[in-house]
Amino acid sequence: MFSYELIEDNEKAVIYFKGDLDIEVTEIIEEQVIPLLKFYKNVDIDMSEVLFVDSTGIGLLINLVDTLRNTENDIKVTISNIHPQVQEVFEIIQLKEILGEEVLR
Amino acid sequence: MKNSSGRGYLMSFIKDLLFFPSKISDEKQIIDKTLEREIHLARNIQMKLLNGKIPKFEGGEVLGLSLPARLIGGDYYDFYLLGNGKIRVVIGDVMGKGIPAAMLMILTRGAFRSASESTDSPGQTLTAMNQALYEDLRTLKSFVTLFCADWDPQTGILTYANAGHNLPLFIDGKERIVKELPKVSGIMIGGLPNQVYKEGAIHLKNEDIVFFYTDGILEAQNKDGDQYKMERLVHALLSNIDKEIKEIGQCVVDSVNEFTEGVPQKDDITMVLLKVSNRKAKISSFNSSITNSKER
Repeated sequence: MFSYELIEDNEKAVIYFKGDLDIEVTEIIEEQVIPLLKFYKNVDIDMSEVLFVDSTGIGLLINLVDTLRNTENDIKVTISNIHPQVQEVFEIIQLKEILGEEVLR
Repeated sequence: MKNSSGRGYLMSFIKDLLFFPSKISDEKQIIDKTLEREIHLARNIQMKLLNGKIPKFEGGEVLGLSLPARLIGGDYYDFYLLGNGKIRVVIGDVMGKGIPAAMLMILTRGAFRSASESTDSPGQTLTAMNQALYEDLRTLKSFVTLFCADWDPQTGILTYANAGHNLPLFIDGKERIVKELPKVSGIMIGGLPNQVYKEGAIHLKNEDIVFFYTDGILEAQNKDGDQYKMERLVHALLSNIDKEIKEIGQCVVDSVNEFTEGVPQKDDITMVLLKVSNRKAKISSFNSSITNSKER
Protein backbone atom coordinates (compact mmCIF):
# COMPACT_ATOMS: atom_id res chain seq x y z
CA MET A 1 0.00 0.00 0.00
CA PHE A 2 1.14 3.51 -0.83
CA SER A 3 1.16 6.29 1.72
CA TYR A 4 2.77 9.68 2.08
CA GLU A 5 3.83 12.03 4.84
CA LEU A 6 4.18 15.78 4.58
CA ILE A 7 6.60 17.79 6.67
CA GLU A 8 6.43 21.53 6.17
CA ASP A 9 8.70 24.32 7.12
CA ASN A 10 7.30 27.74 6.15
CA GLU A 11 7.08 27.78 2.39
CA LYS A 12 9.02 24.59 1.94
CA ALA A 13 7.44 21.15 1.99
CA VAL A 14 9.04 17.74 2.00
CA ILE A 15 6.73 14.94 1.00
CA TYR A 16 7.82 11.40 1.80
CA PHE A 17 6.45 8.78 -0.59
CA LYS A 18 6.21 5.30 0.85
CA GLY A 19 5.43 2.16 -1.16
CA ASP A 20 5.12 1.21 -4.83
CA LEU A 21 4.41 4.02 -7.27
CA ASP A 22 2.04 2.44 -9.80
CA ILE A 23 -1.46 2.72 -11.26
CA GLU A 24 -3.08 2.25 -7.83
CA VAL A 25 -1.63 5.59 -6.71
CA THR A 26 -3.27 7.64 -9.51
CA GLU A 27 -6.14 9.04 -7.39
CA ILE A 28 -3.92 9.73 -4.38
CA ILE A 29 -1.55 11.86 -6.47
CA GLU A 30 -4.24 13.68 -8.40
CA GLU A 31 -6.83 14.21 -5.68
CA GLN A 32 -4.68 14.55 -2.55
CA VAL A 33 -1.01 15.22 -3.22
CA ILE A 34 -1.33 17.90 -5.93
CA PRO A 35 -3.96 19.99 -4.05
CA LEU A 36 -1.87 19.63 -0.88
CA LEU A 37 1.39 20.81 -2.42
CA LYS A 38 0.36 23.59 -4.73
CA PHE A 39 0.54 26.37 -2.14
CA TYR A 40 4.20 25.95 -1.28
CA LYS A 41 7.16 27.59 -2.98
CA ASN A 42 9.56 24.68 -2.61
CA VAL A 43 8.61 21.03 -2.76
CA ASP A 44 10.97 18.14 -2.26
CA ILE A 45 9.72 14.65 -3.08
CA ASP A 46 11.61 12.12 -0.97
CA MET A 47 11.64 8.72 -2.66
CA SER A 48 13.80 6.79 -0.18
CA GLU A 49 10.93 4.44 0.65
CA VAL A 50 9.80 3.80 -2.92
CA LEU A 51 11.27 0.55 -4.17
CA PHE A 52 9.20 0.08 -7.33
CA VAL A 53 8.02 2.49 -10.02
CA ASP A 54 6.30 1.28 -13.17
CA SER A 55 5.54 3.24 -16.34
CA THR A 56 2.29 4.60 -14.94
CA GLY A 57 4.17 5.70 -11.80
CA ILE A 58 6.70 7.58 -13.94
CA GLY A 59 3.82 9.25 -15.76
CA LEU A 60 2.30 10.29 -12.43
CA LEU A 61 5.62 11.70 -11.27
CA ILE A 62 6.14 13.70 -14.49
CA ASN A 63 2.59 14.98 -14.27
CA LEU A 64 3.04 15.93 -10.60
CA VAL A 65 6.24 17.88 -11.28
CA ASP A 66 4.80 19.60 -14.36
CA THR A 67 1.56 20.55 -12.62
CA LEU A 68 3.39 22.03 -9.60
CA ARG A 69 5.86 23.93 -11.78
CA ASN A 70 3.04 25.43 -13.82
CA THR A 71 1.10 26.85 -10.88
CA GLU A 72 1.04 30.59 -10.14
CA ASN A 73 3.50 29.96 -7.32
CA ASP A 74 6.06 28.75 -9.83
CA ILE A 75 7.01 26.01 -7.40
CA LYS A 76 10.59 24.77 -7.32
CA VAL A 77 10.37 20.97 -7.28
CA THR A 78 13.11 18.48 -6.49
CA ILE A 79 13.11 14.70 -6.26
CA SER A 80 15.62 13.21 -3.85
CA ASN A 81 16.90 10.05 -2.18
CA ILE A 82 15.99 7.81 -5.10
CA HIS A 83 16.53 4.12 -4.41
CA PRO A 84 19.19 2.56 -6.73
CA GLN A 85 16.62 0.11 -8.11
CA VAL A 86 14.33 3.00 -9.08
CA GLN A 87 17.26 5.12 -10.27
CA GLU A 88 18.01 2.42 -12.83
CA VAL A 89 14.51 2.77 -14.30
CA PHE A 90 14.83 6.59 -14.33
CA GLU A 91 18.09 6.32 -16.21
CA ILE A 92 16.68 4.02 -18.87
CA ILE A 93 13.89 6.45 -19.72
CA GLN A 94 16.23 9.45 -19.19
CA LEU A 95 13.99 11.18 -16.68
CA LYS A 96 16.70 13.72 -15.83
CA GLU A 97 16.75 14.99 -19.40
CA ILE A 98 12.96 15.18 -19.47
CA LEU A 99 12.38 16.93 -16.13
CA GLY A 100 15.63 18.90 -16.05
CA GLU A 101 18.74 18.64 -13.89
CA GLU A 102 17.33 21.07 -11.35
CA VAL A 103 14.67 18.48 -10.44
CA LEU A 104 16.78 15.33 -10.37
CA ARG A 105 20.22 16.07 -9.04
CA MET B 1 -51.69 -25.38 3.61
CA LYS B 2 -51.53 -22.55 6.03
CA ASN B 3 -47.82 -22.80 6.09
CA SER B 4 -47.33 -22.78 2.31
CA SER B 5 -49.65 -19.81 1.74
CA GLY B 6 -47.80 -18.02 4.49
CA ARG B 7 -44.59 -18.70 2.70
CA GLY B 8 -46.14 -17.44 -0.56
CA TYR B 9 -47.10 -14.19 1.08
CA LEU B 10 -43.67 -13.82 2.51
CA MET B 11 -42.09 -14.48 -0.89
CA SER B 12 -44.20 -11.84 -2.65
CA PHE B 13 -43.40 -9.39 0.13
CA ILE B 14 -39.70 -10.03 -0.40
CA LYS B 15 -40.16 -9.68 -4.14
CA ASP B 16 -41.82 -6.29 -3.62
CA LEU B 17 -38.99 -5.24 -1.40
CA LEU B 18 -36.46 -6.35 -3.98
CA PHE B 19 -38.31 -4.93 -6.94
CA PHE B 20 -36.67 -1.53 -7.02
CA PRO B 21 -33.06 -2.57 -6.49
CA SER B 22 -33.51 -5.47 -8.90
CA LYS B 23 -34.52 -3.05 -11.65
CA ILE B 24 -31.34 -1.09 -11.03
CA SER B 25 -29.25 -4.23 -10.98
CA ASP B 26 -30.89 -5.34 -14.26
CA GLU B 27 -29.76 -2.12 -15.88
CA LYS B 28 -26.33 -2.52 -14.38
CA GLN B 29 -26.16 -6.05 -15.70
CA ILE B 30 -26.99 -4.85 -19.21
CA ILE B 31 -24.26 -2.18 -19.00
CA ASP B 32 -21.79 -4.72 -17.61
CA LYS B 33 -22.62 -7.16 -20.36
CA THR B 34 -22.23 -4.52 -23.08
CA LEU B 35 -18.92 -3.45 -21.60
CA GLU B 36 -17.70 -6.98 -21.31
CA ARG B 37 -18.62 -7.70 -24.91
CA GLU B 38 -16.84 -4.55 -26.12
CA ILE B 39 -13.71 -5.31 -24.13
CA HIS B 40 -13.62 -8.76 -25.67
CA LEU B 41 -14.05 -7.30 -29.14
CA ALA B 42 -11.28 -4.81 -28.41
CA ARG B 43 -9.06 -7.63 -27.17
CA ASN B 44 -9.79 -9.52 -30.34
CA ILE B 45 -8.73 -6.55 -32.47
CA GLN B 46 -5.57 -6.06 -30.48
CA MET B 47 -4.58 -9.72 -30.54
CA LYS B 48 -5.19 -9.95 -34.28
CA LEU B 49 -3.08 -6.86 -34.91
CA LEU B 50 -0.29 -8.05 -32.61
CA ASN B 51 -0.24 -11.61 -33.86
CA GLY B 52 -0.38 -10.69 -37.51
CA LYS B 53 1.72 -12.19 -40.27
CA ILE B 54 5.25 -13.02 -39.23
CA PRO B 55 7.52 -12.09 -42.10
CA LYS B 56 9.54 -14.92 -43.61
CA PHE B 57 13.05 -14.18 -44.77
CA GLU B 58 16.22 -16.08 -45.54
CA GLY B 59 18.94 -16.19 -42.94
CA GLY B 60 16.88 -16.09 -39.80
CA GLU B 61 13.58 -16.18 -38.02
CA VAL B 62 11.56 -13.81 -35.85
CA LEU B 63 8.84 -14.42 -33.32
CA GLY B 64 6.75 -12.20 -31.05
CA LEU B 65 4.75 -13.10 -27.95
CA SER B 66 2.61 -10.89 -25.74
CA LEU B 67 0.69 -11.72 -22.57
CA PRO B 68 -1.39 -8.78 -21.35
CA ALA B 69 -1.82 -8.47 -17.57
CA ARG B 70 -5.48 -7.65 -18.12
CA LEU B 71 -7.77 -8.49 -21.02
CA ILE B 72 -5.98 -5.97 -23.16
CA GLY B 73 -2.64 -4.29 -22.71
CA GLY B 74 -0.24 -1.55 -23.68
CA ASP B 75 2.74 -3.56 -24.85
CA TYR B 76 3.56 -3.49 -28.52
CA TYR B 77 5.77 -5.26 -31.00
CA ASP B 78 5.83 -5.32 -34.74
CA PHE B 79 7.87 -6.41 -37.76
CA TYR B 80 8.32 -4.65 -41.02
CA LEU B 81 10.00 -6.13 -44.06
CA LEU B 82 11.98 -3.35 -45.73
CA GLY B 83 12.42 -3.08 -49.47
CA ASN B 84 16.17 -3.72 -49.28
CA GLY B 85 15.74 -7.17 -47.71
CA LYS B 86 16.29 -5.93 -44.17
CA ILE B 87 13.81 -6.65 -41.44
CA ARG B 88 12.76 -3.97 -38.96
CA VAL B 89 11.75 -5.04 -35.45
CA VAL B 90 10.12 -2.78 -32.88
CA ILE B 91 9.09 -3.43 -29.28
CA GLY B 92 7.54 -0.99 -26.86
CA ASP B 93 5.65 -0.29 -23.70
CA VAL B 94 2.87 2.27 -23.54
CA MET B 95 2.47 3.95 -20.15
CA GLY B 96 -0.40 2.53 -18.15
CA LYS B 97 -2.55 -0.54 -18.46
CA GLY B 98 -5.80 -1.81 -19.89
CA ILE B 99 -8.03 0.03 -22.34
CA PRO B 100 -6.32 3.47 -22.25
CA ALA B 101 -2.92 1.88 -22.92
CA ALA B 102 -4.39 -0.28 -25.69
CA MET B 103 -5.78 2.78 -27.46
CA LEU B 104 -2.35 4.42 -27.45
CA MET B 105 -0.74 1.17 -28.55
CA ILE B 106 -2.83 1.23 -31.74
CA LEU B 107 -1.76 4.86 -32.28
CA THR B 108 1.89 3.79 -31.88
CA ARG B 109 1.44 0.95 -34.35
CA GLY B 110 0.09 3.32 -36.99
CA ALA B 111 3.02 5.69 -36.43
CA PHE B 112 5.54 2.84 -36.73
CA ARG B 113 4.09 1.50 -39.94
CA SER B 114 3.99 4.86 -41.67
CA ALA B 115 7.42 5.87 -40.34
CA SER B 116 8.88 2.59 -41.62
CA GLU B 117 7.66 3.39 -45.13
CA SER B 118 9.67 6.59 -45.24
CA THR B 119 12.77 6.08 -43.08
CA ASP B 120 16.05 4.29 -43.74
CA SER B 121 17.22 3.47 -40.23
CA PRO B 122 15.92 2.68 -36.75
CA GLY B 123 17.10 6.05 -35.40
CA GLN B 124 15.22 7.89 -38.13
CA THR B 125 12.15 5.77 -37.45
CA LEU B 126 12.15 6.77 -33.77
CA THR B 127 12.68 10.44 -34.68
CA ALA B 128 9.73 10.31 -37.10
CA MET B 129 7.55 8.50 -34.55
CA ASN B 130 8.38 11.01 -31.83
CA GLN B 131 7.53 13.88 -34.19
CA ALA B 132 4.23 12.22 -35.08
CA LEU B 133 3.19 11.27 -31.54
CA TYR B 134 4.74 13.99 -29.33
CA GLU B 135 1.81 16.45 -29.31
CA ASP B 136 -0.80 13.74 -28.72
CA LEU B 137 1.17 12.06 -25.96
CA ARG B 138 1.80 15.38 -24.17
CA THR B 139 -1.91 16.23 -24.36
CA LEU B 140 -2.76 12.82 -22.97
CA LYS B 141 0.04 12.97 -20.36
CA SER B 142 1.38 9.68 -21.56
CA PHE B 143 4.50 8.26 -23.18
CA VAL B 144 5.82 5.19 -24.94
CA THR B 145 9.20 3.51 -24.61
CA LEU B 146 10.42 1.92 -27.83
CA PHE B 147 13.38 -0.07 -29.09
CA CYS B 148 13.79 -0.34 -32.83
CA ALA B 149 16.28 -2.47 -34.79
CA ASP B 150 17.04 -3.25 -38.44
CA TRP B 151 18.60 -6.58 -39.24
CA ASP B 152 20.38 -7.13 -42.50
CA PRO B 153 20.60 -10.87 -43.28
CA GLN B 154 23.13 -10.16 -46.05
CA THR B 155 25.75 -8.57 -43.80
CA GLY B 156 24.58 -9.98 -40.44
CA ILE B 157 24.58 -6.49 -38.95
CA LEU B 158 21.90 -5.42 -36.52
CA THR B 159 21.52 -1.62 -36.27
CA TYR B 160 19.42 -0.27 -33.44
CA ALA B 161 18.14 2.81 -31.62
CA ASN B 162 16.50 3.29 -28.27
CA ALA B 163 13.74 5.57 -26.94
CA GLY B 164 13.81 4.93 -23.20
CA HIS B 165 13.40 1.16 -23.45
CA ASN B 166 15.40 -1.54 -21.67
CA LEU B 167 18.25 -2.97 -23.75
CA PRO B 168 17.59 -6.32 -25.46
CA LEU B 169 19.75 -9.32 -24.65
CA PHE B 170 22.30 -10.71 -27.05
CA ILE B 171 22.78 -14.45 -26.82
CA ASP B 172 25.98 -15.75 -28.34
CA GLY B 173 24.95 -19.14 -29.73
CA LYS B 174 28.50 -20.48 -29.95
CA GLU B 175 30.00 -19.18 -26.70
CA ARG B 176 26.68 -19.65 -24.92
CA ILE B 177 26.77 -16.35 -23.07
CA VAL B 178 24.09 -13.72 -22.59
CA LYS B 179 24.75 -10.00 -22.36
CA GLU B 180 22.92 -6.77 -23.06
CA LEU B 181 23.40 -5.16 -26.46
CA PRO B 182 26.02 -2.38 -26.31
CA LYS B 183 24.32 0.59 -24.67
CA VAL B 184 22.52 3.20 -26.72
CA SER B 185 20.12 5.56 -25.03
CA GLY B 186 17.51 8.07 -26.09
CA ILE B 187 14.51 9.93 -24.68
CA MET B 188 11.23 8.01 -24.55
CA ILE B 189 8.62 8.84 -27.22
CA GLY B 190 6.53 11.78 -26.00
CA GLY B 191 9.26 12.91 -23.55
CA LEU B 192 10.80 15.83 -25.46
CA PRO B 193 10.25 17.21 -28.97
CA ASN B 194 12.75 17.15 -31.86
CA GLN B 195 14.84 14.22 -30.74
CA VAL B 196 17.68 12.69 -32.74
CA TYR B 197 18.24 9.07 -31.80
CA LYS B 198 21.76 7.66 -31.80
CA GLU B 199 22.31 4.24 -33.33
CA GLY B 200 24.36 1.26 -32.25
CA ALA B 201 25.31 -1.81 -34.26
CA ILE B 202 26.39 -5.38 -33.62
CA HIS B 203 27.37 -8.23 -35.90
CA LEU B 204 25.31 -11.40 -35.50
CA LYS B 205 26.68 -14.83 -36.35
CA ASN B 206 24.89 -18.03 -37.15
CA GLU B 207 22.82 -19.33 -34.18
CA ASP B 208 23.01 -16.00 -32.32
CA ILE B 209 19.77 -14.77 -30.78
CA VAL B 210 18.58 -11.29 -29.86
CA PHE B 211 15.91 -11.22 -27.19
CA PHE B 212 13.84 -8.00 -27.09
CA TYR B 213 11.48 -7.70 -24.13
CA THR B 214 9.44 -5.44 -21.87
CA ASP B 215 10.17 -5.08 -18.16
CA GLY B 216 6.99 -7.01 -17.24
CA ILE B 217 9.11 -10.18 -17.45
CA LEU B 218 11.75 -9.10 -14.93
CA GLU B 219 9.15 -7.59 -12.63
CA ALA B 220 6.81 -10.59 -12.59
CA GLN B 221 6.20 -11.38 -8.91
CA ASN B 222 5.54 -14.54 -6.95
CA LYS B 223 3.36 -14.77 -3.84
CA ASP B 224 6.22 -13.62 -1.60
CA GLY B 225 6.62 -10.48 -3.67
CA ASP B 226 9.98 -11.59 -5.12
CA GLN B 227 10.67 -10.58 -8.70
CA TYR B 228 11.60 -12.91 -11.57
CA LYS B 229 14.70 -10.83 -12.36
CA MET B 230 17.46 -11.04 -14.94
CA GLU B 231 19.22 -14.06 -13.47
CA ARG B 232 16.23 -16.36 -14.03
CA LEU B 233 15.65 -14.97 -17.52
CA VAL B 234 19.29 -15.58 -18.50
CA HIS B 235 19.08 -19.11 -17.13
CA ALA B 236 15.84 -19.82 -19.03
CA LEU B 237 17.38 -18.54 -22.25
CA LEU B 238 20.66 -20.41 -21.91
CA SER B 239 19.06 -23.74 -21.05
CA ASN B 240 16.85 -23.61 -24.15
CA ILE B 241 19.26 -22.00 -26.58
CA ASP B 242 19.37 -24.94 -29.00
CA LYS B 243 15.62 -25.22 -29.45
CA GLU B 244 13.45 -23.84 -32.22
CA ILE B 245 12.60 -20.16 -31.82
CA LYS B 246 8.94 -20.96 -30.96
CA GLU B 247 10.00 -23.33 -28.22
CA ILE B 248 12.48 -20.84 -26.75
CA GLY B 249 9.71 -18.24 -26.46
CA GLN B 250 7.37 -20.76 -24.86
CA CYS B 251 10.09 -21.95 -22.44
CA VAL B 252 10.59 -18.38 -21.19
CA VAL B 253 6.83 -18.01 -20.68
CA ASP B 254 6.71 -21.37 -18.86
CA SER B 255 9.66 -20.38 -16.69
CA VAL B 256 7.91 -17.12 -15.67
CA ASN B 257 4.66 -19.00 -14.94
CA GLU B 258 6.49 -21.60 -12.91
CA PHE B 259 8.06 -18.82 -10.85
CA THR B 260 4.87 -16.81 -10.25
CA GLU B 261 2.79 -19.91 -9.45
CA GLY B 262 -0.44 -18.33 -10.62
CA VAL B 263 -0.03 -14.94 -8.92
CA PRO B 264 -1.85 -12.53 -11.29
CA GLN B 265 0.49 -10.59 -13.58
CA LYS B 266 0.93 -6.93 -12.58
CA ASP B 267 2.25 -5.80 -15.92
CA ASP B 268 2.09 -6.92 -19.55
CA ILE B 269 4.78 -9.36 -20.62
CA THR B 270 6.09 -9.14 -24.17
CA MET B 271 9.08 -10.54 -26.04
CA VAL B 272 10.45 -10.66 -29.54
CA LEU B 273 13.10 -13.13 -30.63
CA LEU B 274 15.39 -12.88 -33.61
CA LYS B 275 17.44 -15.97 -34.36
CA VAL B 276 20.10 -16.15 -37.05
CA SER B 277 20.25 -19.39 -38.97
CA ASN B 278 22.01 -19.97 -42.23
CA ARG B 279 20.69 -23.47 -42.71
CA LYS B 280 19.10 -22.32 -45.94
CA ALA B 281 22.26 -20.57 -47.05
CA LYS B 282 22.15 -22.07 -50.53
CA ILE B 283 18.64 -20.85 -51.22
CA SER B 284 19.59 -17.53 -49.72
CA SER B 285 22.52 -16.97 -52.06
CA PHE B 286 20.41 -18.14 -54.98
CA ASN B 287 17.72 -15.62 -54.09
CA SER B 288 20.15 -12.81 -53.55
CA SER B 289 21.69 -13.33 -56.96
CA ILE B 290 18.23 -12.99 -58.46
CA THR B 291 17.62 -9.82 -56.50
CA ASN B 292 20.96 -8.46 -57.59
CA SER B 293 20.32 -9.17 -61.23
CA LYS B 294 16.93 -7.50 -60.91
CA GLU B 295 18.54 -4.44 -59.40
CA ARG B 296 20.87 -4.19 -62.30
